[in-house]
Amino acid sequence: MLLLNLFKDARYFQIIFQSIFLSYGIFVLHWRNESWLYLTYFATSLAMQFVCEYLLGKKHIPFFQRLKNGIPSVLISSFGLSLLLKTNNWRVAVLAAAVSILSKYIIRINGKHIFNPSALGIVAAVFLTGNAWISPGQWGSGAVILFGVLCFGFIVTTRVQKVDVSIAFLGTFAGLLFLRQIIYLGWPMDHFVQAVSTGSLLLFSFFMITDPKTIPNHTFVRILWCIAIAAVAFYLTAFKFMNGAPVIVLVLAQPLVPLLDKLFKARKFEWIKPKGFTPEEKNFLHVVYSRSSM
Amino acid sequence: MKKKLFIIGAFVAISPVLFSFCGFYVSKADGTLKNKTSQVILVRDGNKNVITMYNDFKGDTKDFAMVVPVPVVLQKSDIKVVDQSIFQKLNDYSAPRLVEYWDQNPCYNYEMMNDKVMSAPSSVMQRSGNSRDEAAKRSSVKIEAQYIVGEYDILILSAKESTGLKTWLNDNGYKIPADAEEVLDPYIKSNLKFFVVKVNEKEKKKLNSNFLRPIQITFNSPKFMLPIRLGMANADGDQDLLVYAFTKRGRIECTNYRNVEIASNKKIPLFVQKNFGAFYGNLFTNQWNREDESVAFLEYAWNVTPINQMKCDPCVGNPPTEQDLVQSGVWWVGNKDWNDYSDLDNEEADNGSKNVHFTRLHFRYNRKSFPQDLMFQVTPNTLNYQARYIITHPATGDFNCAAGKKYLQDLKARRKKELQELTVLTGTNINNWQEDATAKEDEETNAAAQYATLLPQVKEDMENKESAPVGIILFGAAMVAGAGLMRWKGVI
Repeated sequence: MLLLNLFKDARYFQIIFQSIFLSYGIFVLHWRNESWLYLTYFATSLAMQFVCEYLLGKKHIPFFQRLKNGIPSVLISSFGLSLLLKTNNWRVAVLAAAVSILSKYIIRINGKHIFNPSALGIVAAVFLTGNAWISPGQWGSGAVILFGVLCFGFIVTTRVQKVDVSIAFLGTFAGLLFLRQIIYLGWPMDHFVQAVSTGSLLLFSFFMITDPKTIPNHTFVRILWCIAIAAVAFYLTAFKFMNGAPVIVLVLAQPLVPLLDKLFKARKFEWIKPKGFTPEEKNFLHVVYSRSSM
Repeated sequence: MKKKLFIIGAFVAISPVLFSFCGFYVSKADGTLKNKTSQVILVRDGNKNVITMYNDFKGDTKDFAMVVPVPVVLQKSDIKVVDQSIFQKLNDYSAPRLVEYWDQNPCYNYEMMNDKVMSAPSSVMQRSGNSRDEAAKRSSVKIEAQYIVGEYDILILSAKESTGLKTWLNDNGYKIPADAEEVLDPYIKSNLKFFVVKVNEKEKKKLNSNFLRPIQITFNSPKFMLPIRLGMANADGDQDLLVYAFTKRGRIECTNYRNVEIASNKKIPLFVQKNFGAFYGNLFTNQWNREDESVAFLEYAWNVTPINQMKCDPCVGNPPTEQDLVQSGVWWVGNKDWNDYSDLDNEEADNGSKNVHFTRLHFRYNRKSFPQDLMFQVTPNTLNYQARYIITHPATGDFNCAAGKKYLQDLKARRKKELQELTVLTGTNINNWQEDATAKEDEETNAAAQYATLLPQVKEDMENKESAPVGIILFGAAMVAGAGLMRWKGVI
């Protein structure tokens, strides 16, 4: 069953890839000292999911079924926090994880949650507490990482068919950067390569902005939306010297999504494509559908 | 094992210190000016920056010239010269340190009082080292301002294009490295100004010193960066850069290169004490290679707020005083009358507005590994950090009791581990340490536990270990073969 799930539900792929990145960080880039932080993110997120599902979940589906169905998403957002957000204070870590999960249950319009959970958690922790930070340089710029992230990320996004989002974002961002750094300022090529091979940027464009639940449904609108985010993020990065601009811009842009969805009708995203189903899958789909119509 | 703790501070050689900063040196004579190790103090809060550039130029001061890109046109009041001793102080204070412990003979019954001796850091210091306007009109270069500050003639130039700037500098007797042009253009287009410094011989004579004092500049800019690319133009090979940073909030970190804490709290053999500078030099080079060169090494981070009592543990050099901080450009401390106790219970001191966090970053850069200038951010990370290495003196006396025998066993094991650690940390072949290890002055009298005896054993152990990767490959191959076989047989 697990294997079947693995192929049907792209979230499992995402979890596998994210765990590879985290292991790379822990074992190769010496993030070992921060293990407590990752544990805090995961523990808090899971606990929060349990509480939220208990209090706010759909009552007509068995509790454990709901819990089980929600867990991959919880893991994904915990990984998102672990890979991007740094803090020395466990309370801040708890806050970030709690905000990210809670936002999924509380801030919803038309059956879609509005904010990408980990992006909102990161922004809340950075701006509300002032005790957390994004460390853009933490991944280094090894070319190996560039290709690794690209390939893995590509597969993940292809499976959820939102590769258009990644390409629109990364293409715009890198394109503008290229125009400015190489064409206008005249820096040598490696200056540009160093800038776009940052692990944080690639992780963002393949694993965070792609969250299918928090992007516009309509393909064309979706791409425009991504280009706009990339353009604003580029402006803030290049001219205002802001770190972590993409995450912040994403969070600010997400409230627009319900509006865009209303204006441009399109089919909603489902994690699993409807085809022939086993009873379990039907059950799962039921969850997804009922979620969507909440 | 009861241990007495004692401390030796030791300074570290940071390769031969030769003058430099992130600017490039333009020599007026044909001499070859090279810059190898630079030291910079950065102070940052909000958008305000204070940068102090160390100046260890040796040679005829007539030949000295320096060009630094800056984001704004500086006013005269924004430029100061400061006493160069501040760099020595900061370096001494934050350099990687060697800590010394003493084992105690388990056969004697010491009192428990020694258990938690955190004796005051003693400081046995070991140091191992330690016609212009017309020309401007012709070209597109504009002299935005010119000042005499201290012993320096300072010009602030802006330019429209790099050829003009290059011509201007050459016409005025500054020799520009051939490949500096590739970075001049981007700087000009980023709207940076050029801070050009020469020595004013007249002013220089008034001072009775041969030193060129560090220049300190203050400006407001959202950019928190150090332009290192210009400096690469006339440097061949790798250059070291030490950044001492002061902020209100916490550590600084590099945002466009990876930040790595240098290996710390390692137990190393006793004999390293004689040569700690070389040991750390090797360690740094080894780590730098292992981390792929493009990294910022954290060597020290501490809360040095004047009211904070413990500014180091152990202290290698004196922690910076309030006066040192002010001298470094920390503008938010000072102006306090220390004889006035009326504000002792004042809440104000605790709101963080007087906090000072110190960070020491060590870069070793070259053109290939560092294509971009260094960008920084201030983080709220207030954890203290120090590069600290530990040596342990063996106990002396008879070890005839049971505990004594066990002690000797433990000692042997520990010393073996120390030798291994030494080779792992420095990435050197264990044979390189043969001479040190076999030197006669090993404090341990028991031959079995002497480094000289243990070294061959460690060597043997390590040779055996080298076959480990082969083992892994074989194991992997076996797994694949097994899986293939099972697949073939239809088991899976």
